[in-house]
Order: sequence, then structure tokens, then C-alpha cells
Amino acid sequence: MAMNGHSGPPGTGGSPGNDPARSQDCPRDPDHAGDDDLLPCGRSLDDVWADHEGAPGEAPEGHPVDCVHCTAALADLRTLDDLVQRTRAEDENTPAPDASALASRVMDLVRLELRPGRSLPLGEAEEDHWIVETAAARALRDAAETVAGVRAGSCRVAPAAGSGVRAPVRVTIEVEAGARRALPELAEAVRSAVAGAADRAIGMRVSEVDVVVVDLFDETGEDPR
Amino acid sequence: MPGNGDDQGDGRDADHTEGGGTAGPPDRLLAVRAGEGDEAAFEVLVRRHGPELLRLATRMLGSATEAEDAVQESFVSAWRSLPEFRGDAAFLTWMYRIVTNRCLNQLRSRRPVTHLDAVPERETPGHEGSPVRDAEAGAALRELSAALEGLSPEQRACWLLREMHGLSYEEIADTVGISPQAVRGRMFRARRALMEAMAAWR
Repeated sequence: MAMNGHSGPPGTGGSPGNDPARSQDCPRDPDHAGDDDLLPCGRSLDDVWADHEGAPGEAPEGHPVDCVHCTAALADLRTLDDLVQRTRAEDENTPAPDASALASRVMDLVRLELRPGRSLPLGEAEEDHWIVETAAARALRDAAETVAGVRAGSCRVAPAAGSGVRAPVRVTIEVEAGARRALPELAEAVRSAVAGAADRAIGMRVSEVDVVVVDLFDETGEDPR
Repeated sequence: MPGNGDDQGDGRDADHTEGGGTAGPPDRLLAVRAGEGDEAAFEVLVRRHGPELLRLATRMLGSATEAEDAVQESFVSAWRSLPEFRGDAAFLTWMYRIVTNRCLNQLRSRRPVTHLDAVPERETPGHEGSPVRDAEAGAALRELSAALEGLSPEQRACWLLREMHGLSYEEIADTVGISPQAVRGRMFRARRALMEAMAAWR
């Protein structure tokens, strides 16, 4: 079978303008009910399938519950469902496709297009040492996450507005907080950890650390999202 | 969905974990960090979701080699777009969209040279093992893959995202850029075609 949008499945008829790939109509749309969707008993295949999926279809009043045509259509669907389940099980039992070579190739390409961000001053104002924003941000996120119940997301490091390029920087870090601690206390712990790391580990003068709690998560259970 | 970034609250040590399990920071945080230029965060996402995306692309394209190229290009394009990624959708759903569109474009560009009686290109080297084992373990898979080739690329995309990757109709609608009703229509036709293809072999 070719991968061709005009080759409909057998038995669906190839009437012009009824290309199954392009047509955006819905089988439940009254305008399109009928033709090949109707079983010999008069019910539409779509309704029978809807029953199967738990959304009751429109069984006509008095339609036999054990209608042979509906039953046969459902049996076909179950055969397909069964095959799907077996395939999914095979997927789970088969080692996932090895993506490590792929990941290495992707990262090789990504490293040709890094976005290191701006250079930020290291050390004292009169010195000439610099660190790129992404490297500083990574170290500061790590510092924030030394506080129990904290996950760091966005971390922006920039010279304070209106100051010179070698002026102390301002850090804005967004964190998700575990729900076990009072937030002001947690935010203060993050601020202190970040300021401490900037000063001692990185050697970057910081004028201000803003901590923004953007989400709460339940440390004991599932993620909120 | 596997690897969706669930975390037991002690993910900070997992920042530097190698490889793709589900441990480590949730996707949304990694995506934010990657958007700010942290390529290490991006690598975690690539390793975490690469296998799942490869499965999708392989079934879409019917070729492991082409699938690797498609997924590789999708990740590189994601890296470029991440600064604009606002996290409205989950990272994996966003990747499904990029990979699906890339596969669809590739399949559409193939169409003109595909004849009705052409034998579909089958790549088997990587999958060839013991024929007996293949016949048993991979039977369902191969029977289904053969039937899938009879679907239009658009039907196949909807069907795979729903049945193999567990997306909702709404998520699929976002992913392929059509209405949920249209997704429903494609699913209907895909199922009917698959059932008919399999009935023909019985």
C-alpha cells in the first residue's frame, strides 16, 4: 500500500472530493451521516463506537441490544484495540530506541549555537574579569536548590538599571517551593544562599537578589502539573 | 505519559544525572532554563524524551534513519525556539507538535514520487533478529505497522498520537493544528481503515 492521500481504504469508495485525508468533516455531522458509515441495521458505525468508548451513541428507540451488526462492528473494534494493547505492551517490553547517539549529535549542533548571554563583571570594579550570564545563572540556581524544598527555574543576572557595566548585578530568580515551609522564610533562605554563592563561590558583586515564588509543589506526592 | 517530569521533591541532586530517566527536575523547569541558554538543561530534555519521539517518528516515516534525522532536526529547531517557549503546553506536547509537523512535511514531499503499486520502503537492518523471535514478539507490532502504511499521513499522525502516545483529542488538535472534531473524524477513518486492512488478512 502506498502512502498516498488518494488511496482510500478498501471499500470506502473513492468518490471525488471525498478524500479521507483532506476532508475535515466529522462523521457525526448530520450532513455527512449515512453512506458508508451506516451498518446494515441502520445505526451508524460512529455511534456504535461511541458506545464502546463510553460516550453513549444515539441508539434508535427499540434498537435490539444484541443486534448482530452492532455486535460484529464492536468485535472488529475490539480486535483492533487488542492489537493496540499488544503493541503498546511490546513497546514497554522492548528497550526504548537508543537515543544516546541522537542526543550526542543534537548537542554537538546545539553547542554551535549557544546563547551564553551577556558578560557580567567578576571581582572588583577596577578588575577585568568576566563571567557569562548562563554560567552565573547555573551556579546561582544550584545555590538556590541547596535550600530544602526549592527547585529553581528562571534566573536572570544583569547590571542594575542605570549603572555601569562593572557595577554590582541584580539577580532575579524564580523558584518553585515545596509546601512544607513558610514562604517568607523559604524565600529569605534562597536569597541568602544565592547572595552567598555569588559572593563566595563566584566572586560576583550583587546589589540585590529578588526571589519570586512561581509555583508550589507537594513534596510528598505528585507534581501539581 | 512517561518522562513527564514528575519529581518526588528531592530533584536537586538529579540536576547532574546522566541519561534519561524520569528522575530529575520537571520538564517545565528544564525548559525555562534551556530557554535562558542552559544547554545542560536542554540535554536532559533531549535524553529524557528522545526515545519516545523516535518511536513516533519511526512509525510515521517507516524508516529508522529518516526518523533519527527528523527528531534530530526537531530538537535543534526546538533549541532555537525555546527562548519564545512560554510553557503554555507541556514541553513534550510541544515536541510532539514539532516532530509531527516535520514528519508530515517529509511525507507530503514524498507523495509525488509514490505510486499506488510502489512497494513501501522498509528498513529492517536494525530490527532483524531471529526470525522466530520476530514472528512471535514483534508480530503485533509488524502487523500493525503494515496496516498503518495504508493510512494517509494525517490519519496516521492522529492515530499514533492517540493510541500509541496517549494524547487527548484536544492535545492532538493543538499538535496538528486542526479542530478536535476534525481529529475525531480522522481517528474514525483511521480505525475503519485499519480494521478493514486487518480483516482482509484474516
